[in-house]
Amino acid sequence: MLPTVRVSSSRVHLFNLHPSAGSRHTQKRLGRGRSSGLGKTSGRGHKGQKARSGNGKPKAGFEGGQTTISKLFPKKGFTNSINGKTYAPVNLDRIAHWIEQGRLTSSPENPITARELVMSGCIHNARDGVKLLGDGAENLKVQIHITPSRASKSAIEAVEKSGGSVFCRYYNRLSMYDCVKGRTDHIDAAPTRRQDIEWYTNWRNRGYLAPESIAKMPSVQERWRQLSDQLTRFKNEEFAKR
Amino acid sequence: MLSVALDAIRPLITRVSRNYATAAVANGSHGRVANASVTVPPLQAFPTSPLRQPVYVPLSSLIRTGHPAHQPDQVAELDPTVFAHSIRRDILHLCVVHHLDSLRQGSANTKTRAEVRGSGRKIRAQKGSGKARLGDGQSPMLRGGGIAFGPKPRDFATKLPRKVIQMGMRVALSARVKECNLRIVESLDWTGTKTKDMIRRLDELGWDQKTLFITGKDIVPPGLKRSTENLHKISTTTAQQVGVYDLVKWSQVVLDIEAVRWFEHILSKDRVEFAQTM
Repeated sequence: MLPTVRVSSSRVHLFNLHPSAGSRHTQKRLGRGRSSGLGKTSGRGHKGQKARSGNGKPKAGFEGGQTTISKLFPKKGFTNSINGKTYAPVNLDRIAHWIEQGRLTSSPENPITARELVMSGCIHNARDGVKLLGDGAENLKVQIHITPSRASKSAIEAVEKSGGSVFCRYYNRLSMYDCVKGRTDHIDAAPTRRQDIEWYTNWRNRGYLAPESIAKMPSVQERWRQLSDQLTRFKNEEFAKR
Repeated sequence: MLSVALDAIRPLITRVSRNYATAAVANGSHGRVANASVTVPPLQAFPTSPLRQPVYVPLSSLIRTGHPAHQPDQVAELDPTVFAHSIRRDILHLCVVHHLDSLRQGSANTKTRAEVRGSGRKIRAQKGSGKARLGDGQSPMLRGGGIAFGPKPRDFATKLPRKVIQMGMRVALSARVKECNLRIVESLDWTGTKTKDMIRRLDELGWDQKTLFITGKDIVPPGLKRSTENLHKISTTTAQQVGVYDLVKWSQVVLDIEAVRWFEHILSKDRVEFAQTM
């Protein structure tokens, strides 16, 4: 419906402008006499909690004294706010579909990283990293070369079976941000926590610091080579062999 | 409105809106692609839809003295999406009210019962006096007490969608065109400084209404400014600074060609072409 406007045939000026009919409503003014319809009790009725000044309402979630739904059930567990990581899962079938559509391309020299996944729309948010999961492992036909933060065993198996490669890289918050934004001028930090070091030097996980990964990866930074040496040296120490 | 056959005025038309190569563009004030070649498309290029027919306004002249204004030798061809918009008074109302709200000083102030000077001593005993119970002497119920819910300094400015303001500009310009109160001149570079020369020229032109001169340059030409400063019926401004309120307030508006280009650059709408069949 077109806005109804009072038409003035004279020229447009400051004194003959009007708002469109129905666009302005008069204010509700409480306590200004009987005829207004909102006098005396001002629309609140008589007495009771809701008629009182101030808020008049109990706090949110209050159920009249009955144990509230938020108190009925016990608390459980804890949240690891320091080291807890939420990985963005992506399955093999989705990546395969993207590659078939031409929205993703990969090669051993230019593997798929979190940046490519986000930019192509395969993932909407890379969060603390990308984890490759194995839905669609049986039907995988395309070659996928990818460097996620983590990968499941079935995904690794399926990708390598169809000729691709998976190498899991460690990303902290800063290096993840740089990866997604495409910045290459910073040095990505090495894993410092024992758990991370053990994980990323493990060939089973295809960690990028495992000696076998260093040997197989097409482009290896010199720094990774050194890190891999240093972080796996303890295995060959005398005390470890006992 | 000018109602002459298109053939008759074809040789007179100044393609104001389509002329890209200008000093204004070279100054970089418009930010448009500085296309050095002046492309003048043939008249047949215009679609025949009545919604898209350009608006024609005869070119006036402020500077060329002795030239009668009612015998134009040139006609300006204007973009209909800017200068032939449908008149929406409610949009103009919104824009004007928004402008005036922003001008409000908002400095009205009153003292609450906390701000009124006085002690917190209880004025009389709770019980026994036979009169109403009272606390401190600054209560709003008492004479000399604070004001309950009185005005406090506040900001009365409101927000209005950018596109509503742009539509307001289009409507205001179109309203002036419709009332035949939009004049277009080649240049506003008045060389004199004496007010009486300006008065004489305006008498010659017959422009006795309240007039707003809008220049597309970065500053108003100093000659024009000095000559009109003491005239209360004349005002000058630049196209970048003018708003809907000014266009509605001033009954006659005079644009120079750069100002027309500025408005068309900012406000022109590219409409989807309809099929040629009417």
